[in-house]
Amino acid sequence: MFGYYFELAVRSLRRNPVLTILIVALIGAGVASSMVTFAALRAMSADPMPGKSAQLYEPQIDNWGPANPDVHGEPPLTLSYIDAEALLHAHAAPRQTALYQVAFSLVPADATRAPFAVKGYAVTTDFFAMFNVPMAYGAGWSALDDDKGTDALVISRRLNDRLFGGTDSVGREIRLDNHDYRVVGVAGDWNPQPRFYATGSIHVTTDHGDAPDVFLPFTHAVEQQIATAWGNYCRPDYKGMGWDALLHSECVWVAFWVDLPTPADAWHYASFLHNYAAAQQRMGRFSWPPNVRLRNVPQLLAYVHAVPEQVRVSFLLALGLQLVCLVNIIGLLLAKFMRRSVEIGVRRALGASRGAIGLQFLTEAAMVGAVGGLLGLLLTGIGVYGMGALFTPKIARLVHVDADLLGLTLLVSIVATVLAALYPTWRAAQVQPAWQLKSN
Amino acid sequence: MSIRILFSTLRRHSMMPALVLLQVAVACAILCNVLFLVWQQLQPMLAPSGVAGNQLILVDQLASPQRAFTTAEVRGGEVALHEVPGVRAATAAFGLPMVGSNLMDIALQGPNGVKVGVNGYLGAGLIDVLGLQLVAGRDFLPSEYRDFGIGGTHEKWSAGGPQPIIITQTLAKRLFANGRVLGQLLTDPSDKNDLGYQVVGVVRHLLRNQLGLATNGRADDTVLLARRIASTSTLSYAVRVDPALRKAAIRGVRKVIQQHFGALLPTGITARVSSYSSRREAAFKSQRAALGLFAGITLAVVVVTAIGIMGLTGFWVQKRTRQIGIRRALGARRADILRYFLAENALIVSIGVAIGMALALLGNALLMHYYELSRLPWSWLPVGAVVMLLLGQLAVLGPALRAAAVPPVVATRSV
Repeated sequence: MFGYYFELAVRSLRRNPVLTILIVALIGAGVASSMVTFAALRAMSADPMPGKSAQLYEPQIDNWGPANPDVHGEPPLTLSYIDAEALLHAHAAPRQTALYQVAFSLVPADATRAPFAVKGYAVTTDFFAMFNVPMAYGAGWSALDDDKGTDALVISRRLNDRLFGGTDSVGREIRLDNHDYRVVGVAGDWNPQPRFYATGSIHVTTDHGDAPDVFLPFTHAVEQQIATAWGNYCRPDYKGMGWDALLHSECVWVAFWVDLPTPADAWHYASFLHNYAAAQQRMGRFSWPPNVRLRNVPQLLAYVHAVPEQVRVSFLLALGLQLVCLVNIIGLLLAKFMRRSVEIGVRRALGASRGAIGLQFLTEAAMVGAVGGLLGLLLTGIGVYGMGALFTPKIARLVHVDADLLGLTLLVSIVATVLAALYPTWRAAQVQPAWQLKSN
Repeated sequence: MSIRILFSTLRRHSMMPALVLLQVAVACAILCNVLFLVWQQLQPMLAPSGVAGNQLILVDQLASPQRAFTTAEVRGGEVALHEVPGVRAATAAFGLPMVGSNLMDIALQGPNGVKVGVNGYLGAGLIDVLGLQLVAGRDFLPSEYRDFGIGGTHEKWSAGGPQPIIITQTLAKRLFANGRVLGQLLTDPSDKNDLGYQVVGVVRHLLRNQLGLATNGRADDTVLLARRIASTSTLSYAVRVDPALRKAAIRGVRKVIQQHFGALLPTGITARVSSYSSRREAAFKSQRAALGLFAGITLAVVVVTAIGIMGLTGFWVQKRTRQIGIRRALGARRADILRYFLAENALIVSIGVAIGMALALLGNALLMHYYELSRLPWSWLPVGAVVMLLLGQLAVLGPALRAAAVPPVVATRSV
C-alpha cells in the first residue's frame, strides 16, 4: 500500500512543480536556520568533560569584601595564595588541586635549535586524576613531589613529539628558563573545550585553545617564584612589591578545584567552606560575614556566560522562524491537497476509507518533508561553513556538521512537515465523494 | 470598490487570509527584534572614531607585576619611539581607543543634572598623537599636566580649582543642552569632595574603549584628562606615524619596545604592537559574528515570508478565477483587479503587523527577562512594520498580475 501511495505522491509532486518547489524551499530555509544556530549553540554549550563535570567544583571565597564594587557581591573567580594554601592543607575533599598558568622559554638540549615559548599550568598531582588526563607514558608525580616541590614535569604529547620524536621520554631532562626539569609523564590527547579549569583566564577570548604543553608541581612553581601568566588581580590600593608580598596579599590569582563525587560530599564541602570564611572573620581577616560559592562546571560556565547571549537569542529567533515556515506549509499543503478534491472523491467513491485517504496524504507530506530536509542539509552545510568565516578559529573549529546534525535535520524536516500536514489531511479526508462527482 | 466587499470576502473564506495574517504577525515580531539587534551590533562599528586611524600604532600589554616601571623608563620609551624613522609623535597613555585592557570609568554630572558614565583617556599631548579634531577651546597647557600611574605615582588633583577636561561634541550637547560649553563646570556625582572638572576644549569625535557600551548614542562618551603617565605597573603607548612609512615604522616600534622593555617583562608576557586598523578588526570580531548570525536570520525571515505570501495568495487567487472573470465581464478593468488584490493584501498584512508589533514587544520583554538585552524602543516597531508591508505588496504582485490577466470569458466557462 505504501508503495502505491509513494507513487501517487511522486506523481502529485510533479503535477504542480511550482507549489512543490515553494514548499520544499520553505522547509529547507526553516530547518536550515534552526540547524545552523543550533550547531553554534551546541558547539558553545558542549559539556567539556562529560560524565565528570557535575562533580568538579570550584570554591570561591570573598576576600575583598563588599567594598569591591565591580562584581555585585560575587566573590572573585580565583583565590588568594593564603586561601589556596589553607584549602590545600585542610584536605577537606577526596581530591583537590590548586593551579595557575605559567609560561616559559624552553631551551632545547641541542644548542643549534632556537628556544621557543611553552605554556602550561602549575598544578598538584590530583589534577591528572580529577580532570581525566590520560597518560601516554609514565604517570603524574607523587604526593611527596607535591610536598617537596620537586622539579617533576608532565609534558604534552605534542611537546614530546617535538622534542623526543614521540618516544618514551620519562626520565629525560628539559630546560625551562634557567631550570632543569625531569619528565615523569607524557600526557595523551587531552584538551577539554572550553578550558573551564583555567578560571583565571576564563574571560580571555584571545586564548588559542591549544592543549597545555607542560604541567609542574604547584609548590615548586611558588618556591621558584614563577609568576602567573594570566596575571593577578589586586585591590586598587595594593602597594606591595615582590613575590613574598604577593603571597601574603589579598591579590587573587590561584584557581582551585575540588572533586566531590557525591551530593553529600558537596554538602560537606560547602559547609566546610562557610566555616573557613567564618573563622577568617573571627580572626579579623575579613570584616564581613562569609560570602562563599561552590559551583560545579556547568554552573560555573553558566555564571561566566560561556555561551554568548547572541547565540542563544539567535537560536530562539530561528525557532520563531521555523514557526512561520510551519504556518506557511499548512497553507500550501492545504492548497495542494484541496486541488485534488475530485481525485479524492473518486477514490472515496471506489471504496477508499477516510483513513486510507489520510495515510495517502501523510505519506505525501513526509516525502515533501524529506526532500525539504535534503535542501535543508545543503543550506545547513553552507551556513556552518559561513560561520567559520564569522567566528574566531577557536569557536569555528567547534561548530561542525556531523552525523547527529544530519540526522536531526532530516528528522526535524519530516516531523515538522507531517505535523503541518495534519490539518490539510483531515480536510482532505472530509471531502464528500458525492459532491465532487456531481460537479463534473 | 468599497472596503465592505473586501471584508465580506475575507469573512467567507477565512482560512487562507488567517494563515497569511498569522505568519505576518510572527514574522513581524521576529523582524522587529532581529533588526534592532542588528542595529545594536552595527552602532559601534559605524560610529566615527575621531582618530587618525591609518596613522596610528598602539602598544599595550606592557605589564610588570613585580615592580612598577619607573618614570625614567616610561620617558625613555617615549624618547626612543620618537627616534624611530617614520614616527611623528608618541606618548605614554592610559586608556586608548580599541585597547580594552586599560579602562578608566569616570562619572560626570552636568549643570542640568544629567549624569553620564564616560571613558577617560590619559596621556600628554593625546590630541596631537591621536589626530583628534579640536572644534572649540584649546588643548591642555603643559603646566596643567599631573603625573599618573597604576600602582606607581598617582598625583591627586589638589590645585585650588577644578581640573581641566576636554569632552566630545556629543557630550557637550548632552551635558550643556546647546548652551555655552567652554569654561563650564562638571561635577563627579559619586564624590562630593571632588573639585570637579572645567571644560577647556571640545573635540569632534572620540570613540570610547568600552565598545559594549558604544550603543544608543553613547559611542562618543569619552573625555581627555590632563595627565602625564609616570611610574606605573601597566603601560601603553600611542604612536602616530607617517602613513607612507607605516609598515617600516611598526617594525621599528616593535624593536624599540623589545630593547627597552623586553628584559623588564616577566616570561610569557610580550608587549603587543599593532596598527589601529588591525586592533579595530580584532575588536569587532565578535560583533561581526553576531551581526552575521542576525543578518542570516533577517534574510531567512524575509525570504520565507515572501515565499509564503506568494504561495498562499497564488492559490487563493486561483480559487477565485471564476469570480474574477465575472467581475471583468461586468466591466472591471485590469487595473481594478490588480488594485483589489493589492488592497486586500495590504489589509491582511496591516492587521498582521498590528498583532506582530504587540508580539514583538512581548517577545523582547521575555528575552530581556532571560538575557541581558536592551529594551526594544517603540520607535523601532514601525521599521519592522514598513518592511513587512512592502514585502507583502511585492510578494502579492505576481499573483495579482496573474489575476488581472484573467480574461472575462472565463465567466462563461464552467470550471
